[in-house]
Amino acid sequence: MKRKVILLTVFYLLLIGIWQGVAALGIWPPYLFPSPSGVFDSLLAGFQDNSFTIGILASMKRVLIGYFISVAGGLLIGLAIGRVKVLDETVGTIVLGFQALPSICWLPIALLWFGLSESAIILVVVLGSLFAVTIGVDAGVKNVPPIYLRAARTMGAHGIDLYMKVIIPAALPSIISGLKQGWSFAWRALMAGELLYVSIGLGHLLTMGRELNDISQIIAVMIIIIVIGITVDRLVFTKLENRVRERWGLLNA
Amino acid sequence: MKTVNPPKKLDSLKPEKVIDLRQAICPHPLNVIRDTLRALRENDVLLAVSDHEPTALENAPRFCERRGYPFRTVEQEGVWNIFIQKVEDRDARLKVENVSKTFNSGDGKVSVLNDIDLTIRDGEFVTVVGSSGCGKSTLLNLIAGLDKPTSGRIFANGKRVEGPGSDRVVVFQEGALFPWLTVRENVEFGLKLRRVAPKIRKEMAQDYLKLVGLTENFHGSYVHQLSGGMKQRVALARALVMEPAILLMDEPFAALDIQTRESLQDELQRIWVESRKTIIFVTHNVEEAVILGDRVLVFAKNPGRIKSEHEIDIERPRQPGHPEVFLYTKWITDEIRENGEAVDEVQEAAV
Repeated sequence: MKRKVILLTVFYLLLIGIWQGVAALGIWPPYLFPSPSGVFDSLLAGFQDNSFTIGILASMKRVLIGYFISVAGGLLIGLAIGRVKVLDETVGTIVLGFQALPSICWLPIALLWFGLSESAIILVVVLGSLFAVTIGVDAGVKNVPPIYLRAARTMGAHGIDLYMKVIIPAALPSIISGLKQGWSFAWRALMAGELLYVSIGLGHLLTMGRELNDISQIIAVMIIIIVIGITVDRLVFTKLENRVRERWGLLNA
Repeated sequence: MKTVNPPKKLDSLKPEKVIDLRQAICPHPLNVIRDTLRALRENDVLLAVSDHEPTALENAPRFCERRGYPFRTVEQEGVWNIFIQKVEDRDARLKVENVSKTFNSGDGKVSVLNDIDLTIRDGEFVTVVGSSGCGKSTLLNLIAGLDKPTSGRIFANGKRVEGPGSDRVVVFQEGALFPWLTVRENVEFGLKLRRVAPKIRKEMAQDYLKLVGLTENFHGSYVHQLSGGMKQRVALARALVMEPAILLMDEPFAALDIQTRESLQDELQRIWVESRKTIIFVTHNVEEAVILGDRVLVFAKNPGRIKSEHEIDIERPRQPGHPEVFLYTKWITDEIRENGEAVDEVQEAAV
């Protein structure tokens, strides 16, 4: 663990050092190749005038609303197609088809339906992650060992109890994978949407950076996007995943 | 099925069938019981005749007593007449009537069970033995209500079996415990479905875990932290805690090593002696069937059917290697072998 921290620190310091060195050589003009210090200044400035904070909050609000809807919908659709064969054979194919469609392709329709509004961009986020969540839930439900259901039924479980107390907990490891994947799809969909459709948000900050020829700001915003993505993934999903896997006995299996 | 009830004067009833045991040169106790049982399946009143009061014959009255069939022995000039009356419905825990089960396979229908008739009394410990594919587990599933018979009817606890219910809990071979719950939570699962108050639930779970011999420091463990034997103890506790009228066991010890299996067989016999629960125990191991069961049903396959029935009249607790256990095991195994079917005779062979 300690070794890894040292290794990473050295690696990144070296990387930034090389970057700074190359920038200092002045091969490319600073508006094409920024220096790390310039990016750092942009980061600082962005947070000082609150433009980054406002952007982060706007983006987070959208992604959370969209993701929440996806999770709710994905759980419902996933459970339905995982358990009902005829739905799997019909609705299931639509889910697979739409999962193959890059989420940003929904933007034109979203704009036609909702105009230049929050709803349009949230729709893109929802459709970006809904199917990933659905597929995770569906796979989890389909892979629930039948013996769990049989055991539960002989103990008197039926109807909603069977779903709440057996199917969902048994499918949880796969559901969490779906949620994790859904999150990263939601985040990507949001960024794509915000880039194309101008309003407040991190994607908009990127567009602004391009329009102002401020490459330092672009890099700074990219770093923020990466950091948020990784933080949520590591702090929320990987932790959750590990806990579930440990409890289910899947880690040392 | 008609009931002849109450039996007032047995010897005044006209016997439907007389089996003459005098012809048997060396009446093996198992032969006598088997013949009697076979005759009883088809007749309601039976007369067995013997020319001596042999040790062989005393088994017949004994098994009648155990099954609750009225019987009466009358001696006449050195001939012993034993009247036995079948009392079918009185305390039947489980009745399987003409049950058949066919499955659809690629090229048509496969008959898995053919015309099974079976009555199991309250408190009886019945073991079902047969080679794989003989439909013994299918029968258990039908009784559990997890599967529906193609034809025929099943009655458990006086009610027609329409689906699964906690009056007939199944203990499966392995892997049926819920990994997302602790040991105690697993045992509490069914009680929770019954909306039993948490405090009572916890106490019951602890009592039953203690009954199956699982010490308290494992109650908070997760399933994957337990050994195979402990898992099956938990599975047994989880079934017993529901206090089912009928306990169905589907090869619960088949995946365990010999020592663990023998200790669980001991445990199960002890629990049965204490609780007198009706148990139907499916196994492919003849010795296990003999050790555990009061009655062993031997299944044959293609199509699956009950080939023979054996009363096991050995003192409990029974242990593997006991001479009588060995004798019964050998006898039943030979009978199955005649059919050209493979079963495990002794437990070593099963591992």
